[in-house]
Amino acid sequence: MKYLYKKELNYYLNNPIGYIVVVLFAVFANFLFVKDIFAIGSASMRSFFSILPWLFLIFVPALTMRILSEEKRVNTIEILLTLPVSEMQIVLAKLLALLTLVVVGLALTLGLPISLSFLTRMYLPEIIAGYLGSIFLAAFCISLSTFFSSLTKNQVVAFLASAISLFFLLVLGTEFTANVLPRSIQDFLVFFSPANHLQNFIKGVIDFRSVFYFVSFTMVFVFLTVVDLEKRN
Amino acid sequence: MILLSSVSKQFKNKTAIDNISFKAKEGEIIGFLGPNGAGKTTTMRLILGYLTPTKGKVSIDNLNPLEDRIEVLKKIGYLPENNPLYQEMKVSEYLQFISALKNTDNFLETASRIGLDDVLSSKIEELSRGYKQRVGLAAALIGEPSILILDEPTSGLDPLEQEKIRTYIRKLANPTSSRLRGARAKTIIFSTHILSEVEDVANRLIIIDKGKIVFDEKKPKGKGGVEKLFKKLVK
Repeated sequence: MKYLYKKELNYYLNNPIGYIVVVLFAVFANFLFVKDIFAIGSASMRSFFSILPWLFLIFVPALTMRILSEEKRVNTIEILLTLPVSEMQIVLAKLLALLTLVVVGLALTLGLPISLSFLTRMYLPEIIAGYLGSIFLAAFCISLSTFFSSLTKNQVVAFLASAISLFFLLVLGTEFTANVLPRSIQDFLVFFSPANHLQNFIKGVIDFRSVFYFVSFTMVFVFLTVVDLEKRN
Repeated sequence: MILLSSVSKQFKNKTAIDNISFKAKEGEIIGFLGPNGAGKTTTMRLILGYLTPTKGKVSIDNLNPLEDRIEVLKKIGYLPENNPLYQEMKVSEYLQFISALKNTDNFLETASRIGLDDVLSSKIEELSRGYKQRVGLAAALIGEPSILILDEPTSGLDPLEQEKIRTYIRKLANPTSSRLRGARAKTIIFSTHILSEVEDVANRLIIIDKGKIVFDEKKPKGKGGVEKLFKKLVK
């Protein structure tokens, strides 16, 4: 699996696409936070972590859309599936390589808490929990996008399907649906919204229910992707 | 040993393979002939476990290619149709990657045997079609598999490159008479549209038409024998 992971990572490292997406993500994340920080007048990272799901909505599908759809389009998937490696190893290696890139993107935002710490006293566990939650959320988004990428040979279709699905999942947990839907349905939908589970981390709480939510949903999409690759039709 | 018994494969309403059976033993070089859409690639993919048979049984050394997928794939080197490659990789990177997944480290030796020494540091996308085909062949040979499945290995190559690939396949089948001395004789199945290629390389001929095997014997003797037979059986 190590070699599959290295191959995937090298694709992005030897290709401007990887750098462009990661740097753009970092630029947008830094800018969107910094532009309002003095207006809000609060030196907290909470608003930064709240922006991240909406950035992931675009940047994760952009990074992930080619991961299996391109293999299917140019038929290199036939090489992979006729080598002595399991489908699970293939999917996990791809997921980990993409997660590494997102973590690099997040690392490029570490300047924000460091800068803020010069202005005010920062509560370190809250920042660590926020970044940890963002990594869990990224893994969730990557696994969902990888699944959509496995269903099509068209990268644009994979991107749109992932971005739209993530949008609806994120919207589930907002006040927007609270005003339209009955309370019982709203509670049910909020539970399935990744944004809702990220809120716990943003508050500095590592809630194991939220950890379980992210890990189990990531594994569900990994499993669905493996099932798609195992189809021998 | 490769064994197919009463294997059929259906894609929705289309029968690609219809009740075919054959056995391939060590040291045999089987030329797989048939018109486009006859079922050659489907048969090869069934042997690899890349496709599931609708009916019948496939076994490789008594292993099931679907249930014992990893074990079976360790025994097989495969060159797919149209030779898909990771174009953005360098030749050495690609062969090292394949070598690592096959858990061996003989990729440089294999590359050297196939004549890839000069292009090891070149990107695959920059190579000529002939060299790309050699890269695909080298990838199939890494790990010394006992079975080689080559789907149209000389397709789209100029006559000189075709001859080089043919010579190499002959050497693989007869390792005692070449630089491959000491290597085990392999079972080789290759598909082609070039009838003379079968005459040159194979020692057994399987002709498939509309999903059915219409001929499975030793190749006919004499120049032009394969062509006559093919024209007679495939209409």
